[in-house]
Amino acid sequence: MKTLNVLIKGEFQRLLKYNIIQVGFGVSVLWLLVMFLIGRDEAREFVPLFIFMDASLMTVILIGAGLFYERQENTLKSMMTSPVGMHKIIISKLISAVYIALQSAIFIGLISIFFFNASLNFILLIGFILVIAITHAMIGYTFSVLVKDFPTLLALTMVYMIVFAFPSIFYALGIVGGALETLLIVSPSHASMLMIDFAFGAEISTGLIIGSVMYLGVVAFVLGRFLVFPLYVEKAIKE
Amino acid sequence: MEKIFEVKNLSYTYRKNQVQALKDISFDVKKGEVFGILGPSGAGKSTTQKILIKLLKDFKGEIEYLGQPLNSFGNQFYEDVGVGFELPVHFSKLTGKENMEFFARLYKKHADIDDLLEKVGLLEDKDRMVGDYSKGMKMRLNFVRAMLNDPKILFLDEATNGLDPKNAYIIKQLIREFKHAGGTVILSTHLMNDVEELCDRIAFISGGVIREISTPRELKIRYGKRIVDVEYRLNGQTESETFDLEKIGENQKFLDILKNNQIETIHSGETSLDDIFIKVTGENIHEDA
Repeated sequence: MKTLNVLIKGEFQRLLKYNIIQVGFGVSVLWLLVMFLIGRDEAREFVPLFIFMDASLMTVILIGAGLFYERQENTLKSMMTSPVGMHKIIISKLISAVYIALQSAIFIGLISIFFFNASLNFILLIGFILVIAITHAMIGYTFSVLVKDFPTLLALTMVYMIVFAFPSIFYALGIVGGALETLLIVSPSHASMLMIDFAFGAEISTGLIIGSVMYLGVVAFVLGRFLVFPLYVEKAIKE
Repeated sequence: MEKIFEVKNLSYTYRKNQVQALKDISFDVKKGEVFGILGPSGAGKSTTQKILIKLLKDFKGEIEYLGQPLNSFGNQFYEDVGVGFELPVHFSKLTGKENMEFFARLYKKHADIDDLLEKVGLLEDKDRMVGDYSKGMKMRLNFVRAMLNDPKILFLDEATNGLDPKNAYIIKQLIREFKHAGGTVILSTHLMNDVEELCDRIAFISGGVIREISTPRELKIRYGKRIVDVEYRLNGQTESETFDLEKIGENQKFLDILKNNQIETIHSGETSLDDIFIKVTGENIHEDA
């Protein structure tokens, strides 16, 4: 337990030193400005979208980039030759990823309640953000272990956004029609969007929400177990 | 002498490219010695070291650590072990001190960080970000990282590579101090100077096979030329002669030169470890390293 605490503290120290917490907070402030600029009613409508962007896309980008640089610095190899298990290293990284997403969701969520009278089940939102952040952290980790350089990491993230995130956003904005929803069922972004909307009181069947939570859980497990864990260890040793 | 590691018939094949990096190698490492693994790049040095520090696990053969199978040891194994990698292994946006404090907290016992930083000449730079360090400074910090847990066994991979002569001397001196305090060192390198100055025994490895294990002195005797070269002054000129080392004390011409002439230089025909390595393995150690 002591070493897990050390690892978690180390993760937070690095989140600050590498400006990841600051950047995450800065993006939240940006969303906040947009909310004040677009007016109260529109802001209420867009809040779930902003939280979705932070909890999913920002997590993929920040965590993917953070882990990519850690790979370049060979620090994981050094940690692996200390008396801590690999599972503790991964847990500490997931906790830091969840923190980034939660920081933003709590900040935007509270503002939306106090300044825009949004109807929000806060506890549910936090629970959902946990699942969404862990899944998207795993997606970010997957990208970082698959690529050899930073431009490829960015390109892969863009492809993910175009294939999964943008269609969900367009669907949420009503830009694309209902026929797309059948295809969106395989999108982690869409599942995340549904969960966040549900926390904001949208009328969505409980079955669909349970299915979404389970789907994200399965995606996180499969990526973590079969890609992130083995590939990250392999690459850390090789480099 | 107690054996720290005993390796029998060790083979390793990288799954991805199916390259057999180690082919049935056997050796042991004794407590309190500096054991050098010497070979060019790609010879199998790093693979051997990665297996011994439990980073690579799916090997064939037997490895015993203190008489027990290596795989039977959990993470506690690392409380005894310090690893100095070939490349820097630090968080670039943390200071040198912050890096060392983070890693030190992962161990039950640890050495005095400031003391170690002072020994390698980094105390004044401890509050600078590692990203601003030179390569030599990062390598010295690597050594501090390896010593953080006050280890019993030190694994060093190209420990002095990239260091200027002064800093290389400091690191070598610290390795000697570690050995004199009872520590065991396993040193992977392609630098013959390090081997000659530090190692009690060396293994020549090439193509995944250990070609020779011995002390540097024994190797030099076995593979060296048994001759003596003498340069001396005769009639205002420098002359030179080569004599067979066998029964040199009975060689009248040699004795006459010593007795009657001014000797300028006299050398036994010692062969360098570089030459011995080429002789044993058929490879030039500096070709790929």
